[in-house]
Formats: sequence, C-alpha cells, structure tokens
Amino acid sequence: MSFSFADLGTGALRAALPLAIWGIGAAAYAAAKRDGRALASARWSALITFLLVVLAAFAMIGALVTHDFSIAYVARNNALETPLFFTVVSLWAALEGSILLWTAILAGATAYVAWRGTPALPRLATTALAVLFAMLTFFLLLVTTPAADPFVRSEIVPLDGNGPNPLLQNHPLMALHPPLLYLGYVLFSVPFAYAIASLILGEGGDRWLVATRRFALVSWALLGVGIVAGSWWSYAVLGWGGYWAWDPVENAAIMPWLVATAYLHSVMVEEKRRLLRSWNLSLVIATFALTILGTFLTRSGVVNSVHAFTQSAIGPLLLGYLVAIVVLSVGLLLWRLPTLRDTGAVGTPLSREAIFLFQNVVFVAATLTVLLGTLYPLIAEALSGAQLSIGRPYFDRVEVPLALALLFLMGIGPQLPWHGASRATLERQFTAPIVAAAGGALLAVATGLGGAFAVLTYALAAFVVATVVQEFARGIRARRALHGESAGTAFANLLRRSGRRYGGYVVHLGIVLVAVAVATSQSKTIEVERTVRAGDQFDAAGYTVAFGGLRSVSEPQRDLLVADLRVTGNGADEQLRPALLFFPNATQAVGSPGIAAGLHDDVYTILVAYDTTARSWATVRVLVIPLVSWLWLGGGVVGLGAVIAALPQPKRREVMHGLAEAPATVGD
Amino acid sequence: MGARRVLLIAVLAAAVLIGFVAVQNLASSAVYYLTPTEARERNIAAGTAVRLGGQVETGSLRYDPQTRDLRFVLTDGTTRVAVIGTGAPPALLREGAGAVVEGTFAADGTFRATQVIAKHDEQYAPPSPGATPSHQTP
Repeated sequence: MSFSFADLGTGALRAALPLAIWGIGAAAYAAAKRDGRALASARWSALITFLLVVLAAFAMIGALVTHDFSIAYVARNNALETPLFFTVVSLWAALEGSILLWTAILAGATAYVAWRGTPALPRLATTALAVLFAMLTFFLLLVTTPAADPFVRSEIVPLDGNGPNPLLQNHPLMALHPPLLYLGYVLFSVPFAYAIASLILGEGGDRWLVATRRFALVSWALLGVGIVAGSWWSYAVLGWGGYWAWDPVENAAIMPWLVATAYLHSVMVEEKRRLLRSWNLSLVIATFALTILGTFLTRSGVVNSVHAFTQSAIGPLLLGYLVAIVVLSVGLLLWRLPTLRDTGAVGTPLSREAIFLFQNVVFVAATLTVLLGTLYPLIAEALSGAQLSIGRPYFDRVEVPLALALLFLMGIGPQLPWHGASRATLERQFTAPIVAAAGGALLAVATGLGGAFAVLTYALAAFVVATVVQEFARGIRARRALHGESAGTAFANLLRRSGRRYGGYVVHLGIVLVAVAVATSQSKTIEVERTVRAGDQFDAAGYTVAFGGLRSVSEPQRDLLVADLRVTGNGADEQLRPALLFFPNATQAVGSPGIAAGLHDDVYTILVAYDTTARSWATVRVLVIPLVSWLWLGGGVVGLGAVIAALPQPKRREVMHGLAEAPATVGD
Repeated sequence: MGARRVLLIAVLAAAVLIGFVAVQNLASSAVYYLTPTEARERNIAAGTAVRLGGQVETGSLRYDPQTRDLRFVLTDGTTRVAVIGTGAPPALLREGAGAVVEGTFAADGTFRATQVIAKHDEQYAPPSPGATPSHQTP
C-alpha cells in the first residue's frame, strides 16, 4: 500500500480521540484521589494527543503542498497553480482545516497545562486538565466525523482543484489574521477551565484567577491584534475603503474581546480589594461562551456574511456545545454562589474600584448591544419570518458613545487611588490632563474635524495621553531620586520591573491611537469618483491622479485587469495599480485596491468600472483617508504593551512555576 | 453602605439608559429585505430605507459614465421596479443576474438606490417569483 496523507491524518486523529477521552477520566481521577500515576498517565495522554493532532495538521499541509486532490478539502481549496504561500495557509481557508487548527491549538494548551500547570497547583490544575480534555474530545469528535472531517476523500479525484476562495488568496495578512484569532479564542479555554475547576472544587478564592491571569492577557492580546489584522485585511483586500462594517463575523470577534477587556480590569479589583468574585467568574464564562457563539455564527452560515463560507452539519453541533457550556457553567456558578462572598468593601464613587466597576458595566453593555444587533435579524426572522438587517447606523449610534465613555474612564481610572480620592489628589492628578483635553479639542477644531464625537474623541485622547505621560514622568522621577538612575534607564526599568502597570499604560496609548485613527478617518475622508481616458488627470484632496490606461496581466493562477494610476502631490509620487482579478474557477471578479499608505493619509484607489468593449474609459474611485495607518500602528502598540505586561518581572520570586506569577503590581 | 448604594443606582441608571438608546436605535436602523412584490404588497412608505433583492431585467441596464447616472429595472418575475442610482455599477452587475439594492422609494414609485450590490457568485440563487430573497448568500 502506498503512502497517503489522508490515511496518515485520519489515523492520527482517530488515535488522538480515545487518548483524549482517557485523559478526562485519568485527570479527574488524579484530581479526586490525588493519584500520581493517574496524573502521569493524563500528562502523557495530553502530550501524545497534541503530537498526533499536530501530525494531522502537517499531513494536511503535506496534502495541500503536493496537491493531493484525492482529499476533498484539498480539491475544494487548492489548485495546481495556487502559489505555495497560499497553498500552505489554505490549512485555515475553510471550515474543516480551521477546526483542525483549532483542535491543534487546544491540544497544545491542554499539554501545556498538563506539564507546566499541574506541578504548581496539583488539584486545581488537574481538575482544569480534565475540563480541557473534555473540550478537546468535542473537537476531536468533530474532526473524526463527517461534521468537520478534514480528510474526507473526493468522490471523483479531479485533475485540478477549485483553488482557495479568491478573496483569501490575495493578501499576506491571510497568513496572520486567522491564526491570531484562533489562538486568542482557544487560549481563553485555559482561564475558563481553571474557573470551572475552581467552581467544581468549591475553592472560593482567587487562585484560579492569579494562575491564569497571564494566559488571559496573552489570549486577549492575540485576539485584539487578530481583530486589527482582520480589519487591515478587509481594508487592503475588499476594496471598499473601510475597515470595519459591523459584519456579524467582526462582531463575533469583538464581543469576546470586549468582555475579556472588562475581565482583565476587574481581575485587579478582586486581587486588590477582594471584590467581584462571582462577577469575574461570570466574565470568564461569558468570554468563553462568546468565542463558541462566534464560531457558531461564522461557521454554521446562519448569518449573511462573506466569511460564512460554509454551511454544514457543524452548526447544530456547535450550538449544542454552546448550550451545554452555558448551562453547565451557569449551573455550577449558581451552585457555588454561597462560597463566593466578597470580603472587601467598595470605596467611594471616586475610587479606582468604582471606576473599574463602571468600566465593566460599559464594556458589558457594549457587548450586549453588539450581540443584540447581531442576533436581532435572526430572532426577527425566526419569530415573524421577515428578513431584515441591522445596519451600521445602529452600531455607530450605540457603540460610539460607549467607546467615548470608555476612553474617559480609561483616563480617570488609573489616576484614582483605591478606596477613594481626596480633593488634593484630584487636583494633583487631573490639572494637567484637563488642560491637555482642552488642547485636544482645539486641535480638532483647528484641523477642521467635523462632528461633536470627533472633537470629543480628540479631547479625551489628549486627556488619556496626558495621564499616561504624567504617570511615566512621576515614575521616572521617583526612580531617579531613589536609585540615581538616568532617565533612560529609569524608563526601561519601569517597563521591565513594573511591566503590568506600565505595560498597561502602553496598551492605553495604543487604544488612543486607534480611537484617533477611527475618529479622523471617519469624519474627514474625501471621496472622488471620475470616469477617465488614458492621459487624463484629476485632483483629489491635493493629490494629482493621472490615469495611464488599462492593461491585462496574466498570472498562472489568475488574470488581472490593471488600471495604471500615478499619484503625485503632498510629497508623494507613487504608481498605484488598482485591479480587477479574474480567477478561472470563480464566476466572480474580485476588486483589488491600489493603496499609497502614509502616516498622514492613505490614497486609496479602486477600479470601479471600465469600458468592456473597447477599454477606452475606466471609472476610478479615489479615497483620501487621513490617519488610517494609525489604526494598524495602534494595534501594534496594544500588542507591545501586552507583551511588556505579560513578561515575567525580575526580582520578584515567582510563587508558582509557569502559569503563575507574583501578585499584581498595578496600583502599587 | 452609602457609597455602595450610590454606585448601584448609578450603574443601574447607566444600564437602563444604554438599553433604552439601543432599543430605540434598533427599531430605526432595521432595514427590511424584500422582493419587489413584497415591497408593493406592504406598501412601503416613500423615504423608508429598504433592501430589495431581485434580478436585473435583461435590456434595462443603462450607465452613463459622464453623468454617472445609473438606471436599471429590478424584477422578481412578478413586479418590476425602476432603480435609479448614482455612480458606476459594480463590475459584477450583469443583466439577468441577481442584485440587491438598498435605498428608498421616491413618491413616483421609482427606487433611489444608495447602494447596489451584485449577487453573482455560484452560491447565490436568484429568488424565484414571489419568494423572499435567500438570507444566506455569502
């Protein structure tokens, strides 16, 4: 018998399934009886399961690279002419491959907890390990049954495959955006599993939370950067000049991120003030349930979206999984509620914990309103049969004020002490930021920014930046006085030694960049649409756009119709090539924008229409979008801040190995 | 205890306010997705935003690249609606193929489209006469 990637992959997944099921029992027994041999068995099960799933993923990559069209997934998502890069990333270009990747990440997280988590917290982590094995079993069931078996054989082996969805073989971000999102989604399983384990054991304390705080932070950061990468992809590929459409798929990703953000903040309240215990458990459960809801919404095809590229039997299974998770978690939480008493007392409304509470309420409200807008069309259709959509106006009108409220709270929260602030403290903390806010508002008006919301965004952005600068300045001054360090060394030491606090401020700066980018690009984009002939030129917001003509380009996997544009002015001189792409196996042509990116503004060009008979004219749309690149930059700064906050801090003895870390430093 | 109560009231007030704003906007932002026949039967008022799904009638598509005036007839086989838009049609918009237009009816019964979307790929089946457009088109 000859070697086949399909047999290898199927075999690996079928071998992994019983191991994962065994792992549930072994870990549960080890936790209940404190049995070392059972724990060892569970650990090896976790490791071998992980290796088997990785082997299956590599078998799929091998099948894709060798164009093994005897596998239906390869035939549907790959073609002989697909470039190697997009062949490899096709692992996550469609449903079955995505679920395989998901399973591999979950198996990795399970193995990590098995080997690094259990030595630190034997009972808690071993119970969490059983929970993770149970979740892993569900996903292994999906990939070993027709629901999402990635290795189903083709009925007839085609000579060539369909190739990936044209939209998905167009941009290198395709390599980054989905895996980041999946990592973010799946790694949140670890805090969830610890939370559930803590409830099962009736611990009542915050050990689960301290042990998984870093996991939550990393998964939150990956999800956030993944969302920004997704909007960048949408901007660079879809050719509409926007980056966020409140599409159900985007909503599915932003909802768990919003709740996780609330959680990362309320965690500090529990650590510092012994408050919000059941609330934190609820947030973790909600975040995790929303990741599954997001997968259900995007993978089952229930909502109308470019991303919902598959409608398959997996929908009811994911829905069942979601319902089971919500029912079991909420049931556990209610059962254990009496053990979850808060022992601390909340301070005055002008204390840090009060601001964190408000911030949590706003984050949860933002999540619920996005959820309402996303699910309302489904509910309305189910109840009345009417088909409707909830457009941008709803989301813009509801979410923009909430976002501004959050920006405001982000400015004042870190400046207030726990328990409550005195008048003197308020004056010391807020004099400079209020002056800065006035300056921000003036800047917005002076640069001709229209709209109260945009002006308010600038004011609040300046306010937050001033608070962060003030914090860094005070920290540096204190270090210089205490340790006699130079300003640069003091700055580096703040980030290194108090990373959780100062990394958090860096994250806040990243959020400010995003807010300014959104406010500016939404209120000041200039759009020009012209029908031109070769040699024509026209003006767009100070840039001169010259049309050189249309030409055809043939590439192995596709044909392009390119419009040659030269953009000059404002110090720029760039050749742009907006195009229409024609793929042999798609009836649909795909537009591809030509973008001249800059820190000040982007010139975004789209080939809208052309003379199909003689090619004598083309209609070109030119958007001049200010500050949009700050959005991607802001995403990067958020990621950087998260890295600073997540790095182990020196000179603080780590209480527990690996997962755990020393007590919080925020607010020290 | 006093501080706790003040906080609780403030939090509840914020939640109620946000809920109120959300529900208000939900009702006004809902855009119904109809076939031309359904739109006629429901007697959609002029100025109300709706989405119509149907086919571009063969021989009806006109676009003047100079005035950027776009006109075509959208039909579901029973009811025909004259659609007027501004700007070049999407490159994928073809006569006989599916299209979705978003906009409002004018008093004279023509449809002023703010957005024209071609539904042209293999996964989309144009609605059969009288049917509600498929909601699951990617």
